[in-house]
Amino acid sequence: MVIQKEKKSCGQVVEEWKEFVWNPRTHQFMGRTGTSWAFILLFYLVFYGFLTAMFSLTMWVMLQTVSDHTPKYQDRLATPGLMIRPKTENLDVIVNVSDTESWDQHVQKLNKFLDPYNDSIQAQKNDVCRPGRYYEQPDNGVLNYPKRACQFNRTQLGNCSGIGDPTHYGYSTGQPCVFIKMNRVINFYAGANQSMNVTCVGKRDEDAENLGHFVMFPANGNIDLMYFPYYGKKFHVNYTQPLVAVKFLNVTPNVEVNVECRINAANIATDDERDKFAGRVAFKLRINKT
Amino acid sequence: MVGGFSILLWVGAFLCWIAYGIQYSSDKSASLNNVYLGSVLVLVVILTGVFAYYQEAKSTNIMSSFNNMIPQQAVVIRDSEKKTIPAEQLVVGDIVEVKGGDQIPADVRVLSSQGCRVDNSSLTGESEPQPRSSEFTHENPLETKNICFYSTTCLEGTVTGMVINTGDRTIIGHIASLASGVGNEKTPIAIEIEHFVHIVAGVAVSIGILFFIIAVSLKYRVLDSVIFLIGIIVANVPEGLLGTVTVTLSLTAKRMAKKNCLVKNLEAVETLGSTSIICSDKTGTLTQNRMTVAHLWFDNQIFVADTSEDHSNQVFDQSSSTWASLSKIITLCNRAEFKPGQENVPIMKKAVIGDASEAALLKFSEVILGDVMEIRKRNRKVVEIPFNSTNKFQLSIHETDDPHDKRFLMVMKGAPERILEKCSTIMINGEEHPLDESTAKTFHTAYMELGGLGERVLGFCHLYLPADEFPETYSFDIDAMNFPTSNLCFVGLLSMIDPPRSTVPDAVTKCRSAGIKVIMVTGDHPITAKAIAKSVGIISANSETVEDIAHRLNIPVEQVNQRDAKATVVTGMELNDMSLEQLDEILANYQEIVFARTSPQQKLIIVEGCQRQDAVVAVTGDGVNDSPALKKADIGIAMGIAGSDAAKNAADMVLLDDNFASIVTGVEEGRLIFDNLKKTIAYTLTKNIAELCPFLIYIIAGLPLPIGTITILFIDLGTDIIPSIALAYEKAESDIMNRKPRHKKKDRLVNKQLAVYSYLHIGLMQALGAFLVYFTVYAQEGFLPHTLINLRVEWENDNVNDLEDHYGQEWTRYQREYLEWTGYTAFFVGILVQQIADLIIRKTRRNSIFQQGLFRNKVIWVGIASQIIIGLILSYGLGSVTALSFTMLRAQYWFVAVPHAILIWVYDEVRKLFIRLYPGSWWDKNMYY
Repeated sequence: MVIQKEKKSCGQVVEEWKEFVWNPRTHQFMGRTGTSWAFILLFYLVFYGFLTAMFSLTMWVMLQTVSDHTPKYQDRLATPGLMIRPKTENLDVIVNVSDTESWDQHVQKLNKFLDPYNDSIQAQKNDVCRPGRYYEQPDNGVLNYPKRACQFNRTQLGNCSGIGDPTHYGYSTGQPCVFIKMNRVINFYAGANQSMNVTCVGKRDEDAENLGHFVMFPANGNIDLMYFPYYGKKFHVNYTQPLVAVKFLNVTPNVEVNVECRINAANIATDDERDKFAGRVAFKLRINKT
Repeated sequence: MVGGFSILLWVGAFLCWIAYGIQYSSDKSASLNNVYLGSVLVLVVILTGVFAYYQEAKSTNIMSSFNNMIPQQAVVIRDSEKKTIPAEQLVVGDIVEVKGGDQIPADVRVLSSQGCRVDNSSLTGESEPQPRSSEFTHENPLETKNICFYSTTCLEGTVTGMVINTGDRTIIGHIASLASGVGNEKTPIAIEIEHFVHIVAGVAVSIGILFFIIAVSLKYRVLDSVIFLIGIIVANVPEGLLGTVTVTLSLTAKRMAKKNCLVKNLEAVETLGSTSIICSDKTGTLTQNRMTVAHLWFDNQIFVADTSEDHSNQVFDQSSSTWASLSKIITLCNRAEFKPGQENVPIMKKAVIGDASEAALLKFSEVILGDVMEIRKRNRKVVEIPFNSTNKFQLSIHETDDPHDKRFLMVMKGAPERILEKCSTIMINGEEHPLDESTAKTFHTAYMELGGLGERVLGFCHLYLPADEFPETYSFDIDAMNFPTSNLCFVGLLSMIDPPRSTVPDAVTKCRSAGIKVIMVTGDHPITAKAIAKSVGIISANSETVEDIAHRLNIPVEQVNQRDAKATVVTGMELNDMSLEQLDEILANYQEIVFARTSPQQKLIIVEGCQRQDAVVAVTGDGVNDSPALKKADIGIAMGIAGSDAAKNAADMVLLDDNFASIVTGVEEGRLIFDNLKKTIAYTLTKNIAELCPFLIYIIAGLPLPIGTITILFIDLGTDIIPSIALAYEKAESDIMNRKPRHKKKDRLVNKQLAVYSYLHIGLMQALGAFLVYFTVYAQEGFLPHTLINLRVEWENDNVNDLEDHYGQEWTRYQREYLEWTGYTAFFVGILVQQIADLIIRKTRRNSIFQQGLFRNKVIWVGIASQIIIGLILSYGLGSVTALSFTMLRAQYWFVAVPHAILIWVYDEVRKLFIRLYPGSWWDKNMYY
């Protein structure tokens, strides 16, 4: 004798569901009476209210350990990364010389990016500092802020400053400027008191050939020590980070060129295997000419 | 068992590979993470599958044991020539000859026999040798005397017969096909786990799909949404749980093996715990399976003999000289002998040559009188007539050991009424008195009383032959019977029974208080069955059967109100005439039931009847005849010592000591494991929410991913495994043997309360705690919580290498990724720390942890230690292996979640407190799982 599994007909299932949703005999909605629902809702209201309060409290306590001015830990930022401007989707600077639109967006971005560097603004907000020395502004026991920043004038970028430049940073002539900037890291003494500079090369041999000549502004791609250390957004209100502009003069057209720029500084390693942007930046450059 | 989860994990794995494929086709340098993840998921599926297969493979093929029983050779008369041929070549109509010691080669109808007795115990359960002759005595082939059955043994004599059935068509073959025809029903725990898998899979799939839709409608790319889906599945499926359950069950199985319950089918461990009816065999399980002298009657008085296992304490009055005579008869009128070479074996355990009653008498006298063989030597046997069924007595004549007494002593034993017929005097207090009406009446009362106890009664008498008529040189002739066989002197009665094991009554009481109904099913006579049932408590002292009531009130059975009787004895014959409804009624209405004279098929019917009552039925058995019922039962329990191979194969469990009491310990373990599995599952399910929430938050609020799928796998298959197994060692919270067996359909392993409490209470608290650690790590590195919201796209963009944090610092992608891994590790540690609290609270469901004892279960602490050690190894040892995405975490982050862990503990203590304070209240109903 085999015990047969009872198969429910479709109608029965619907009927059972109906009864589950609203049971007229026991006045149960979804298996609970009104009072039961009230109880359960009240319970969860109180319970979750309590949990929210508890979480908020612990979060608040946690936030008390965090200063508003400087981060508690910086262990991940021992080596600042490098980045380029204009900022593009895939770190590639593609310029169709004849197609204004292809580079106009770059130009717009650069204009906006370089605005704070205008000499007038710099002169108004920032100090003239002594080059070759860190511009330290210690707190000496009392909070000393806002801290002053050193001037980095747009004119220092020479042909790449874009001031009164009909070539639009060289984009309209196929001699584009790319700006290299080093990531800001609070209290980082870049260069360890020795001068440092940015150099760029073609990544492979053929890239080097295709890259052709370029000039750097400031000369040699130097970055001055006076722009360091950085004291953070809250303290160092008008800080403008130093830039290095690279103007590529005769890139072989219609070829993709891999360029790598790195910073040569005593305390910045540029050979991290995993972090491809530690102290260096690689980008693609392509000038399309017809 | 793994179906539901396997499918989910397969889906997850394929989604991983598809995701990688899509990534690869758009970007050749796509990270291999998804491939690893997919492979790990498949590995998990395969491992669980291998586990399951291993379990399946262990379940044995029952038919193989029947093949092993085929007798090798048979002597057959063909072409008027005796030939020896392999038994499988026999055909119906062959004439075969079988002699003592042979196995019967097929079902055989007896043509002629000489003193043939067969041992049918493996088939019918009757322990006594059955005589076989050509006489047709019963319609039922199992009852008639002229059929010998395949696979039984011919003990003595010879038999010539015609083959009437061979192979599968034999009675035993029929039983075999019954056994193999009975499908393997799912065990209760398998059903429970399936139910649980359904719940979890349901949650996983519905949340997965819901968030897939949400993700797509939030304009995430389909590829990303797929990856979310994988995360949600992985977070939801407790990968390690099925393995844990198996390990937990096998740990209990090991523990049970120590208590003499050998579990063949792991899931049976729990089945035993949910058992609500035990159908127990009588012989060997409830009883000691050896005839033992239970009562004596002499000097008009009944004496009770000690029937305990070692027989040591014989306290009846041995001073009467009647006893001296009686003991002499018992010793001398007995052909049984101990097998040689057992000097160091306790008397009761010695093997004996001879039938069961004679062996009982031999051991009885050996215990009381000392060396029986020596006594027999001193009283040399002159001549004897062995017992046969026509005479119904056994007689021997001896020289006496008194050198001055030259008389021969004739001793006789046999069926009491036959013995009494031959007597004219009766010995009382050592003196012979004439046997008159009144003494005959006392004899009859005693005989009836002992018979009523279900005992086999033997009468004993003797006669000193006068020396003048029978001088020393007299030659006795058995055939001529040249000696008197009447006017003897009646000495006493002795009754024997296969006594209950001493531990059984206790065990039966325990079953009763545990809400388990014990039903006796036996092939034995109703009277014996009832007597044993009464003595072990299956029929309790104060309950009566309908017949008892009729007898007490002196009214016909028909007039008794059926409802008054709590107990009933049903014979196989009655059962035959019953409809299934009537059987159901009996099973439902009577608390105490004994089935006697039942056949194997009937045993099956009884088991099915019990199962129709929604009961979980355990069946014990030893014979081949029991195997269908063993197979049909929810849990079949075979006897390890007395059990046949077929029974052992059909059973889920083997009782190594054949002792019913071991079943009860098994039940206790089974109930404990159910409770503990509940705790294990609650423990395991809790963290699912903590693993799931990160994905939900990630999708909705766009935070950097708080925990990676690989990390989740390290929790599920790493840190959580040993703690969840440790819960299997938890002691019971209260006396689990004092509550009703769980209802198969109502008391689920994973019920709504458990799921809700694990998911929505503790799980959520855990998620909050883990998020706290995560936010702490990010905040202290520079990303305050508010800066994280909707940061996901930029955060994960490989080409954004100057992402600004709260302080104006800029981060490269790799620096962020490393921070993300630190976040994974932090979230992992957060869950880990709170899982410790979770583990501690899961020790009990109702009692306070302090009532249960924090340190009573040492394994829990091993589990906690393992959790921490694995966590430390992952974080500090393997922190540099990129694929695992663990980093070295600052030591203080291990303590961030501690307040939440403490909160979990406190909250659960409060929950338990209210449950204890207000049983049956709204709180109890909603919060007790």
